[in-house]
Order: sequence, then C-alpha cells, then structure tokens
Amino acid sequence: MVPTHIRDYIRPASVEEAWNVLAERGKGAKPIGGGIDALLYSVPETTAAVDLTGLDLSYVRDEGGLAIGATTTFTEILEAEPARAFLGGILVEVLEKVASPLQRNIATIGGTLGSAHPWSDVIPLLYVLGAELSLFDGQASRLSMSEYFARRVSGERPLITEIGLPAEGKASACAFEEFSSTGFDVAVLNCAAFLSVESGRCKTVRISIGGTPALATRLTPVEEALNGSPLDDGTIERIAAMAADTIDARDDRRATAGYRRDLTRVGVSRCLRRIVEQLGGVE
Amino acid sequence: MTITVTINGTSKRLAIEPGERLFELLRREGYMGVKTGCGTGDCGACAVLLNGRAVNSCIVFAAKADGGEVTTVEGLERDGRLHPVQEAFLDEGGIQCGYCTPGMVIGAVDLLSRNPEPTEDEIRQGLSGNLCRCTGYVKQVRAVQQAAAAMKGGGNDG
Repeated sequence: MVPTHIRDYIRPASVEEAWNVLAERGKGAKPIGGGIDALLYSVPETTAAVDLTGLDLSYVRDEGGLAIGATTTFTEILEAEPARAFLGGILVEVLEKVASPLQRNIATIGGTLGSAHPWSDVIPLLYVLGAELSLFDGQASRLSMSEYFARRVSGERPLITEIGLPAEGKASACAFEEFSSTGFDVAVLNCAAFLSVESGRCKTVRISIGGTPALATRLTPVEEALNGSPLDDGTIERIAAMAADTIDARDDRRATAGYRRDLTRVGVSRCLRRIVEQLGGVE
Repeated sequence: MTITVTINGTSKRLAIEPGERLFELLRREGYMGVKTGCGTGDCGACAVLLNGRAVNSCIVFAAKADGGEVTTVEGLERDGRLHPVQEAFLDEGGIQCGYCTPGMVIGAVDLLSRNPEPTEDEIRQGLSGNLCRCTGYVKQVRAVQQAAAAMKGGGNDG
C-alpha cells in the first residue's frame, strides 16, 4: 500500500476559498476531484487535500457547445445526453475505454487535466476538440489547453472550474486511436485528430499525440501542412509520415522511440481515414 | 476528523484520519467483505457502492463518504435473503477461491442498476475493473445474465 501523507482534509465552501487555501499552502496542498492521484502519488511535502467536489462543479450542459464542470466524473459525462450526442459520439467512444468502470465512477475530468499524466487519453482528445478551460487563480480566466499547460510549465497552478468544448459544424469530424499492451493498460501512444472541411479542403485541423512518452501536445506544423489541402490517400500518408517525424519520441520501459514513430504514422493515418469515412469523403 | 455515514442502512458517526482510505475505515469497522487486493485501484477486490456507484475503496478518501451512503457486500441481502446477484453467483458457480467475489458482486449490482438487460459484451465491459485470477470469467458472466433475468422477473431491485 502506498503511504499517504495527507493530514488535513479541507472542504472549501467556494472556489475563492479553495484558491486561498492553495495559494497560502503552495505545494503543501493539492486540489482533488476524485482524489485518486492524491492517494496513489502521495508525496511528503503535500499534507493537505482540498476537495472541490462540494462546489457544484459537476454538470454537463449543452450551451451550443458543451460545458463540463471540472468535478464531473467520467461516468457522469458518459451518462449525460448532450455529451453522448456531441460530435458523432466521440466522447463516449474514448471515455468508455478510459480506466475501469469502478475508476470512472471516481475520476473527474478536471482531476485528469490537473494530474496531466503523459499517457492520458483525455488530454489529446480535449486538445483536438479545441477545449477551453475556465480557471481561477484569484480571478477568473478562460484559456486554451496550450495556454493552460504553458502556465503549468512556468510553475503556476490555476484551479480548473470548467471545460468548454466549442460547437462544431456538420462538416467536421474527430477520430481517436490508442495503442496499449492490454485494454486496461495505459497508452503506449495515442493519437487524436479533428478536421472541418470547406469546399473539399481541410479548414480547421487539429492533431495531438500523447504518450511519446511526454505529455500530449498539438502538432502545429503538421496541422498547418494539412490546412487548405484536400484529404486524398497521398496526402494522408504524407501527413502521417510528417507527424511521425515531428513528435518528440523517446524510449521508455513501454516502447522505443522508433516504435512510437511507427505508431504515430499508423495512428494518424487511421484517424484521418476514419474522418474521411465519417464525412463521406473529402475530395 | 469525524464523519457521518450510512453503512448498509445504519447511520454512524465515525472518527477517521484525514488521509485514510475508505477500505481501511470499513475493515476497521468490521466489514470484512471488503477485500484488500492491489491497493492501487486496479483489481476491484475492495469495491463498495458509494452513493449507489461501485468504486475501488482503496483509492477513495474515507472523508468522501461523509454525509453519504456506503453499501458493502454484507449489506446486499434483504430480510435474510441474498441479493439476486449473490444467488446467481452461487447457482452458476461464479466463485473459485472467492477473493474477488465481493467486489465482483458489487460491480455487477452497479452494472445491473444502470443497465438491467446487458449483453454479454456489456457484462464483460461492466466487470472489466474486477479481476479474477482463478476462473476465465465465463461463470461470472453467466451469473450476471441469470441475475438480470431474475431481477427482471420482479425480484430484489438491488
């Protein structure tokens, strides 16, 4: 059993109160949704858990796009009709394979973003869905995923209160591909792609690869190369090869860098072909 | 800290450590149907219903049960009769060493509460967080099918 160093369990009455505790204690306190990682990855300097689940942040709302409260569990998202209907059911397709049913009853979407595990399937998916995060760090703000993770890299830890997914037009589709050793194991690598098309050409393009083994990022140069282009077989193979060359692939105990590049090529190719199928062809 | 929690229908005020896990509290209180397996949320042996949903009680803070309801395998029977899922596990022999059984029964109760007529694939997906190292899951799947049929016939609704 992993020891826990938590000595204070704090249930703030408001987001402001939660932020004040976190700001005051720094690394001594950790915000929790389901609290799984606070137990599994407990470190001696973090002695307080700040439970955000009493702050009315568990909801899925259809606001044109989707608004998902940070402490909404994966089960709650999977059971919410607006989430099931969103963009061809991509949230159901991906989330019902995340962890186990028992864990999906505990784990929250905000907690997954906060934990930022490099193997996360949710993070590349939210990247390509164009998610925006509502944050609070003394004042409220709304940032893109890239902006949020850039702030994390610079040492800031704004609280996530809501995940917003923009509404997408009919001529858009999303696909996801995960590679793992077993159905239950975390990803060796995962790929997500989103496209909207106009007059037979790619208009909005978002591609994200996770588990390289670093945390997922958008592949901006690859997205730019596909933008404005038709989506024929030759283009798909060229873009998939470019993605394989672009990722920051490294070796770890799960896979070699070379294998990860191969998976990236195959994964991006599969995602783009599936998008073509969903859109009924892009010529 | 002190919490108030309803365990198997009985309201209790309990002193807990802030960093304690739910299964530690439950076993200390004598609910030995809650098994300790991996301790990392992978095996499901410690599954209990927390506010009606099956969770790995080894990766949930005990403090999260405050004001809520917990059901362990001991709390599934009604009026001295086993829950239809428990009956079905006995009938089908969905048990070998028995260690995974309480967690698997809890997982099955949660599954059937939200999907009363699951397909075989849905049962296998629904129990994918409950590992059994003895069997090949065949008899457990049959047990859940039998329980679903029994519950549809107006039995215990769990």
